Amino acid sequence: MPEIRLVEHGRMGRVAYGRIAPNEDLVQSVEKLCLAEGFRHAFVRGALGSLVDACLARPQGGCQLIRGPAVEVVSLAGEVRAQPDGSLQAALSGVVVDTEGQVYGGPFVAGANPVCVTFELTLEEWLPAAVES
Amino acid sequence: MPEQLPGLPRPRTLRHPGPVSDLRIEHRHAALGRHFRLALPPGLSLHEALVSALAGVAVHNASMTLLGGELQTLSYCLAQPDHSGRVVATYGELRETTAARLIFGNATLGRSAAGLPVLHCHAAFRLADGCVRGGHVLTEQTRIGAGGISALATALDGIELRIGYDTETRMSFLRPRTEVSDA
Repeated sequence: MPEIRLVEHGRMGRVAYGRIAPNEDLVQSVEKLCLAEGFRHAFVRGALGSLVDACLARPQGGCQLIRGPAVEVVSLAGEVRAQPDGSLQAALSGVVVDTEGQVYGGPFVAGANPVCVTFELTLEEWLPAAVES
Repeated sequence: MPEQLPGLPRPRTLRHPGPVSDLRIEHRHAALGRHFRLALPPGLSLHEALVSALAGVAVHNASMTLLGGELQTLSYCLAQPDHSGRVVATYGELRETTAARLIFGNATLGRSAAGLPVLHCHAAFRLADGCVRGGHVLTEQTRIGAGGISALATALDGIELRIGYDTETRMSFLRPRTEVSDA
């Protein structure tokens, strides 16, 4: 049994609030908000808004498409990490509600979750101090 | 019903009724996150409990995570397509129920155009019959149940969230701007 443990120490930094306009992709907007604010790493601290349609990744590949408009996001968790090439990548998962009130959950597919009317995002900057393995 | 697709869909780009704004992400930041744990007592509306708790620590703009608890009453609605074409989507009929359990929620505190406190809240909840549902919660008409509700609030210092009219969507919602000190 290999013992691999990776703990990243750090502290929280600034808090960014963004309002995303219609037809912008949720996942990439989280990344662009970090770029605009100069965050390299961040956690989602709050999020609510609506999507045109929601696209959630399935474990076996492909996706689950929940049609709106609008599909409301009621829970969103995730983080943004700087990649080795300097780009930023957000990984987000959450729970959505369709126009009948049914709930669905899973990871949001980047590029496939356009905002419907508005989307509020609160991100908290993560400032890693050191990596211990 | 959701569709199970083997690949990825082509996302839809909807046409809103007004002119497309050049500004796609309106954003501000606070230099530091100040966090507060709130213990919201039974009997109060969610609106009254959250607004008064944060006003007590002089916080008027905040993002909140609602961590679950019983609800005496729950009023909510769902987003629906607007078939009149005036807007792309609007809220459907009011749904009211009792004895629901809040599972998780997010809320934002800001101000109305007139300067009064407003909350925008989405949540998932379990209804009395056991069905799990979610939607846009009307916090002034939703009352906290036995045991209360705890919440984590993050103050948005230096940011003012105010309801503003958006010409692109023809709807009004919270928009951030730099807070102007009263001093």
